Amino acid sequence: MEIILSGQLVLATLVLGSVYALVAMGLNLIYGTMRLLNVAHGEILMIGAYVAYWAFTLLQIGPLISLFGAMALTGGLGWAVYRFLVRGLLAGSGEIVQRIEANSLLIFFGLSIILQNLISLAFTANERAYPYLDQVIRFGGISIGADRLVILGISLTVSLIAILFFRYSMTGLAMRALIEQREAAALVGIERDRVSLLVFILGFALAGLAGALISMTEQISPFSGFPFTIAAFVVIILGGLGNLYGGLLGAFLLAGIEVYGVALTSSAYRSILVYGVFIAVLLWRPQGLLGGKRIS
Amino acid sequence: MKPAAALIAALGLGLAYPFLVGDYLLGVGLSFLMWVSLAQSWVLLSGLTGYISLGHAVFYGLGAYVMALLWTQVSLWVAIPLAGLAAGLLALVLGYPCLRVRGPYFVILTFGIAEFVKYIVVAIEAGLGKSGRLLFGGPSLETLFTIMLVLALTATAATYLTRRSRFGVALRAIREEETASETIGISVGQVKALAFVASALIPGMVGAVMVLRSTYFEPLQVFNPFLSFTIVTMAIIGGSDDAPGPLLGALFLVGLTELLWASAPQVYMILLGLLLIGFVLFLPEGLAGRLLRFSRGPAP
Repeated sequence: MEIILSGQLVLATLVLGSVYALVAMGLNLIYGTMRLLNVAHGEILMIGAYVAYWAFTLLQIGPLISLFGAMALTGGLGWAVYRFLVRGLLAGSGEIVQRIEANSLLIFFGLSIILQNLISLAFTANERAYPYLDQVIRFGGISIGADRLVILGISLTVSLIAILFFRYSMTGLAMRALIEQREAAALVGIERDRVSLLVFILGFALAGLAGALISMTEQISPFSGFPFTIAAFVVIILGGLGNLYGGLLGAFLLAGIEVYGVALTSSAYRSILVYGVFIAVLLWRPQGLLGGKRIS
Repeated sequence: MKPAAALIAALGLGLAYPFLVGDYLLGVGLSFLMWVSLAQSWVLLSGLTGYISLGHAVFYGLGAYVMALLWTQVSLWVAIPLAGLAAGLLALVLGYPCLRVRGPYFVILTFGIAEFVKYIVVAIEAGLGKSGRLLFGGPSLETLFTIMLVLALTATAATYLTRRSRFGVALRAIREEETASETIGISVGQVKALAFVASALIPGMVGAVMVLRSTYFEPLQVFNPFLSFTIVTMAIIGGSDDAPGPLLGALFLVGLTELLWASAPQVYMILLGLLLIGFVLFLPEGLAGRLLRFSRGPAP
């Protein structure tokens, strides 16, 4: 009982959950509007982390500034991926939709392998980290790294901005319209192509931002993005595919399961736990905890 | 008659091969046969039904694990079939629930399951206080090659025959239109589960043989997701609708591996990714499909 109420763990859950929320939101946007599962999402995050790492190591620029660079670079990647890979895929056939979706997954898998190895070729596969804001802050018996508090603050702020964006801005509303009614959205004058491009840029930039934040506390390597892809999948499936608010709930739920699971057992079981939840959710409740569209 | 003749010719050539080449080329031949066996098994399920498995490493890894556990306890000739059986059993358990999930969800589900099993084996081995197991006194390279030859030919024949059987027609019907297949009386669930089990048996045995080749069992190595990825890439490059595809794909990738893997592994992986993307986008029927189209002339 003690362990459940421990402020330390609650805070750890919040920090991890807020990062998962950011990562998953990008993945969810792209899935929701185009029904494409971007398995390379974690690699985009990893690239964002490398931007922050090199900005700090070479130029002494802190991640709070370089995160804009990370977002610009990954957003640009999003543009390129949409322009050169996705558009052709979406335009290119009257095949059964399902098979295109499975094929698109293979394409993103290929992209993920390419990015991992390009980074590994350029910067070696060594794990890297840098010290930033690593002093510990104590209040009321809870001690937490300042870097983690910064991560929590930024992620929550960005999530809030995103929610406002989807509620009130024309572009945000257009994105949601595409998610909910793909055909009808075109009828009311939403340019699917333009909005899809924006979705890719935004989704990738969010992953890049999350990467820059994570680089403050985690070691990064060319292969460190993949676990985040898996976590983001779990999150969006928990919250309901294409359901942006459900994703927030899913993020904190998964973070809770992970943090408490590890605290109650051992960190050796972390991967088993995450993959276990992943499989269980896909098998038993693929439509997500909040209901919504059925997967078929 | 023609395919049977090809099979006998391949068997003859395969049996003569160890006497014709040195250890290096024998090793290359072994890895070629390994990939053929794996890719053919994959085509049997994923090529024919359209349920793309990105988790075949789980069967390979389980086979290797069974061999590592049984090594020196029972004879090789018992252990290898048992490894295949264990993989088939796992597929049987997983088949029904997993194959209800379709499209991209099936793809990531198979991947997730392979990773899940990998980490469970890692945890078991850590719990037993083992960090890797050495498998001493295994059979010679020639013996392993011959076993693998039998597996590769069996897998190739299995894909070839299945593709042309009533069962194979059912599988392809599921690929094209699952609901309609059910309506015309194909018991979709059973057929899919059967294909899943069939496509797991040989990878299990291949894993058991290959762990003897490396003389070392390490969970992270035998359950490596890269294995699943390579199988898929190979089948897609070669063509995943019939038996010639995996042969071409394996030949192509083994050649590429020999050229690049040792000297520039990252470049090799990047090329692999590019090839996968290129083939999915521009040549989804694969090399075999393309060649077939040429030999038949332009489509009417």
